[in-house]
Amino acid sequence: MNTTTQKNDLIFSYSSGNLGEAKSLFTSMYLYLNSVASKKASIFDNLLAKNFEDLEGIKLKKIKFSDCIKSKKPSNENVKSKNNPLENIIGDLKNINWKSVYKGFKEFSIPVNDKDSVKLIKMDPGTAVPLHSHNGKEYILVLDGSFCDEYGEYNKGDMQINDQKIKHNPVACNKDGCICLSITENDVVFFGKFGSLLNLFTFIKSFFK
Amino acid sequence: MDNKKAVDLVKRIAKDRDETAFSEIFDYIAPKINAYYLKHNLSSELAEELTQEVLSTIWIKAELFNSEKSKFITWSFTIARNKKIDFYRKNQKNVSSEDVRDFLYENDKSNDYEIESTINKITEELDQNQKKLIKMSFFEQKSHKIIAAELEIPLGTVKSRIRATLSKMQKHIL
Repeated sequence: MNTTTQKNDLIFSYSSGNLGEAKSLFTSMYLYLNSVASKKASIFDNLLAKNFEDLEGIKLKKIKFSDCIKSKKPSNENVKSKNNPLENIIGDLKNINWKSVYKGFKEFSIPVNDKDSVKLIKMDPGTAVPLHSHNGKEYILVLDGSFCDEYGEYNKGDMQINDQKIKHNPVACNKDGCICLSITENDVVFFGKFGSLLNLFTFIKSFFK
Repeated sequence: MDNKKAVDLVKRIAKDRDETAFSEIFDYIAPKINAYYLKHNLSSELAEELTQEVLSTIWIKAELFNSEKSKFITWSFTIARNKKIDFYRKNQKNVSSEDVRDFLYENDKSNDYEIESTINKITEELDQNQKKLIKMSFFEQKSHKIIAAELEIPLGTVKSRIRATLSKMQKHIL
């Protein structure tokens, strides 16, 4: 399955409401930042809405239209959200209480009720992640700045999906560094000189999840 | 009810809090929403409760509806779907998925009318069986296993057919 297909699958699943909280939040940020993705979601929403339009209605037994009129003059307060979908949950990105993992690399776990974990990653300019692969899939969305790896350069609004077939060595771009939203379905597997040590660290860390 | 009529009614609700207009919208969309929830195996009591919530949202947020870019049916469908997602997520935190969707809706630059030709192309290209698979898998959210049982075809065939159908659709939406 190529990357475009996987990205489309994510968007389709979002439209149909099949995603868990982590991927749902991730995808809503993807749609917010990426207009092409947002257009695809609209296409799928409209296709599903056609099914909805064709549904044979079933009359309600208890509820009348007057039961749905809660207030005659709805206030406009809170109608418009000020922040993006992620900041609605965790507040301003500038005020995140980052946890340092190693020099130049910080992370922040976002509390979600899901088997998938979702976190923010902040890499200072030039910071690299050692060569690694993934037991499950990893989804990375660039929220700010950019990073490069063997497969190209990823800028704000770009998404990368990696699986066990992909080994990569991401480096935050020299100018701005980057902030990414990331979902890992399973543990990361490191390679190279310090690979075994990092894998042992990941293994120990898994007990404290 | 055609889209133009529905749009006029929602505009009357937004502008004048017109209860007659709302009762017409209710008669048109409430039974569909109810049927949608019943199709997702919710009890009739719960289906009506959620339908009431969706209609209340339509009443309260009529001002948010942008008829220049959205069709009424798509807007109401997304509200109904998001209520269902909210219902299944027991542990709500600061924000509901519906709020997120509102936000995306306000910031969404895509336009239902501009993508209409793409949707028509996809609809023309898919045959009846493929449309049925999309409907069962994504609209009714049935698992591949249940689809296989209902259509009496092997599970592997369901998976490969859905994959082929999505590939066919994707040609038009790249």
